[in-house]
Amino acid sequence: MNRALGLSVAVGVLLVLGILISCVYTVAQTQEVLLVQFGAPVAQVDAPGLHFKSPLQRAYFFDRRLLNLDAPSEEVIALDKKRILVDAFARWRIVDPLLFYQTQDNLDQATGRLKPILSSSIREVLGSQDFAAMLSGRRSALMRQIRDKMNHDVKAFGIVIADVRIRRADLPQENSLAIYQRMQKEREREAAEYRAQGDEINQRIRARAEREVTVIKAEASSQAAILRGQGDAEKTRITAQAYSQDPGFFAFYRSMQAYQDSLPGSNTTVILSPKSDFFKYFGEGPGGGSGRK
Amino acid sequence: MPWTNQNGGGQPKGPWGQGPAPGGVRPPDFESLLRKAWDEVRRFVPEGSLGRRGMTVIGVIAFGLWLLSGVYTVDPKEQGVVLRFGKFVEHTGSGMHWHLPWPIETAYTPNVTDANQIDIGYKVSTDKNNPSGADDVPDESYMLTGDENIVDMHFTVYWRIKDANAFLFNVDLNLGKQDDVVKAVAESAMREVVGQDHMDEIMTSDREQIQLKVKRLMQQTLDSYKAGILVTEVKMQKAEPPNEVREAYLDVQKALADQERKRNEGEAYANAIIPQARGDAAHILQDAEAYKQQMIAEATGEASRFLSVYQEYKKAPQVTRQRIYLETMSRVLAPMNKVIVDDSAKGVVPYFQLPAPPKTAAPARPQQPQQPPQQPSNEQVTVSPGDQGGGP
Repeated sequence: MNRALGLSVAVGVLLVLGILISCVYTVAQTQEVLLVQFGAPVAQVDAPGLHFKSPLQRAYFFDRRLLNLDAPSEEVIALDKKRILVDAFARWRIVDPLLFYQTQDNLDQATGRLKPILSSSIREVLGSQDFAAMLSGRRSALMRQIRDKMNHDVKAFGIVIADVRIRRADLPQENSLAIYQRMQKEREREAAEYRAQGDEINQRIRARAEREVTVIKAEASSQAAILRGQGDAEKTRITAQAYSQDPGFFAFYRSMQAYQDSLPGSNTTVILSPKSDFFKYFGEGPGGGSGRK
Repeated sequence: MPWTNQNGGGQPKGPWGQGPAPGGVRPPDFESLLRKAWDEVRRFVPEGSLGRRGMTVIGVIAFGLWLLSGVYTVDPKEQGVVLRFGKFVEHTGSGMHWHLPWPIETAYTPNVTDANQIDIGYKVSTDKNNPSGADDVPDESYMLTGDENIVDMHFTVYWRIKDANAFLFNVDLNLGKQDDVVKAVAESAMREVVGQDHMDEIMTSDREQIQLKVKRLMQQTLDSYKAGILVTEVKMQKAEPPNEVREAYLDVQKALADQERKRNEGEAYANAIIPQARGDAAHILQDAEAYKQQMIAEATGEASRFLSVYQEYKKAPQVTRQRIYLETMSRVLAPMNKVIVDDSAKGVVPYFQLPAPPKTAAPARPQQPQQPPQQPSNEQVTVSPGDQGGGP
């Protein structure tokens, strides 16, 4: 009897404690709470701290932080048929816990549903653009476009997409190879151009130098000719001045010099007439000569 | 033990291969510990009277321990953030503090001064033979540039917490993996910036600008998340052409060097031949000058010789004329073969055997008496003294 009483008191105390505990709940700084009574939502609690509720109500906790959504990297075909490997991520948050509760079971499920939406939004937006748009100032506009598109799709989930960012947008391996080849070719062309320019510069410098050499020599030759001319002129002037004193004697004197200079050989045979002046006395004796001339 | 060494050595090894702890210390045996503690308690509490008093003592000790669990310390680098029932109540500075024990209050102590470092595009190399000390992570480091080239870039981001509350409460940072979030933002920002620039500028002149742009873009993004994170620095480590085309890029450098070499060669050639030409020119001029002086000197000499002779000739023209004539003729005729033919012996001449004429007649240069013909003349000279114009 006594024992049964004790047991029932204990059970009663435990029961009361249990009910009391179910009346108390805490909301963390990072959470918000939806109170549901018999399946009907009755209140949404945003303020963090200790709260009380009726034991008939159930509290559902939702994360109010900015949440991460990583999409697996996938291939997207741009408008110009170029294939791009896109690796993107989104940041989202629950703005309407009731809507979210009605449409999603939990965060994992929501993430699972958001991924294909992110992926399809990326495909749709990037697929309507040339690949070049990714490599321009329009990249951030495209990211905003993807975000807006997603927001449109997830409005019914009580979710807002705060940001979508393309982490990487690269070309697949085989396209990369094509790029490497092009880069290689461009560099080769550049190198060849530099080398050819080197040859050109070399030729240019040589040619200019050679021209300068020719000019220097020609100017020197011209100057030399002038000098030689001056020399010849001076000679002519000096000798003419001297010889003109007696042109007759000069002719004789110079002829004598010329004979002497131009007929030096011993092999020369000369045929002389004994009647020449040189032999004036040769044939006629010391008295000769008077009859001549 | 599941990780006991399999190779029969019998030496038990830890999961990471290290041997048993030195000195043979064994993991504490909970049962024996409990038993010991119980024995201790029994010593203080008299046998048999454990009931009420014992329970009270234990309860007090437990309560004390619970209260003590609220003690925490905040390092000078940290900031204490105290939450009561999940709600933020206060910040605490460095030192020892106490908060109401769990589950009433909890405290976080995030480090708010140290810069966190994230390496992107590379990992610090564990291979000591790698001179750069960095291992490439091509997925991260290869980026498309605005001119559709690929650049291999390593960069480092430094960040710290600027607002502890925002950092703790606003963004799901995958506790302990905050770096991943910052890294994702950093990669996205870097690719966005690099995607708008040209390869050559990225590698050279735009580095500074890119760092600034990425830092600004990251900060904007993180601020829009209200993440409470401050990007203190973005540093580009390297920005190079990818390995696949590095050779070609190096060759461009070589080509530039070749170009310079060609230029230098050309200039060396020019520097060699132009002074040579100037020397030659000087030589030519000196030659000409010498000729001029020579001509003048010779003319002066000749003129004065003539004038000297003429002065004397004037005194006795007839005799001098005769003397000069005879002297000259004797000198000229002395070495010659002479044939004297009388005009009356007209028949002799046709039968006179002439020697064969020289094949090419040496051109006579009477104008240049300073160049007398050196070779013995073989020519035939016919002098008909009767026709001599002047005669002495």
